[in-house]
Amino acid sequence: MNEVTHRHEDRGAALILAVAFVVMIGTIGAGLAALVTSSVNNRGALEKVRDRQYAADGAIEDAIVQVRLAATSGSDTCASNSGVSRTPSINSSDIRVDWRSACGVVRSAEGLVLVQRDVIFSACLDTNVACTDASIIIRAQVNFEQAASGAVTKTYVQSWSMNQ
Amino acid sequence: MAQQQDRGDTLIEIVLTVVITAISVGALIAALATAGTAGAAQRNSVSTDTIMRNYAEATKAAARLCTGGAEFSVPFEATGFEVATSPEHVVCPPPTATQQLDLSVTGPTGVTQTMTIKIRTP
Repeated sequence: MNEVTHRHEDRGAALILAVAFVVMIGTIGAGLAALVTSSVNNRGALEKVRDRQYAADGAIEDAIVQVRLAATSGSDTCASNSGVSRTPSINSSDIRVDWRSACGVVRSAEGLVLVQRDVIFSACLDTNVACTDASIIIRAQVNFEQAASGAVTKTYVQSWSMNQ
Repeated sequence: MAQQQDRGDTLIEIVLTVVITAISVGALIAALATAGTAGAAQRNSVSTDTIMRNYAEATKAAARLCTGGAEFSVPFEATGFEVATSPEHVVCPPPTATQQLDLSVTGPTGVTQTMTIKIRTP
């Protein structure tokens, strides 16, 4: 009688174990699926960041050329010290570049006082508002070497920082 | 009589258990295989991205040596990857303009990434 009772108690045990096994396998499978999904999403996000960074990089290059042209043509001096440059979509990103002059003076070896024309460029996504510290993607400071005529003979990138 | 009934139930249970276990293990193996494939694709994508960044930086570095109108070439090689620039033959842009370049990198599995950059003559 006891033996029969035991057998009755064991009935269904294997099925319960199998169900537990299925649940365990399902959990592992769900974990793997989450891992793969997360990896793919991260990959896409990182590619977007890369494209945006190089879009900002290209927009600053455009802005440097514009400032160079303005300085060369004499329509811009250290005194007129800010501007905005917008670059059409690069890598599916519209970028705005705000720039301002940061001119200073240095004394040459001959004792001459020379004006250093530096310009700070800030690139951010174009949302029709000025770039803020939080939105800046790249900030760059560029020195414009000018001849006595005002023509820019060369540009020197003094700093180029990627903020996000 | 009761014992014979128990025996029958146990057999069905065992068959069911074996079937369920087999399906579960099959699903697990399939999931692992998919995760492995996805991992390989992810690794390839990351490698291609790294090569793309390196290629873009090499292109910009080459542009920093530019003088307006001179021939422009980028010395860049990456084993197992193919890199290309469009337009193919570029001269250094004049100081008054930027040059837009479309870069593409094709990885060992044939996956291609593209990106646009701009270069200028310093």
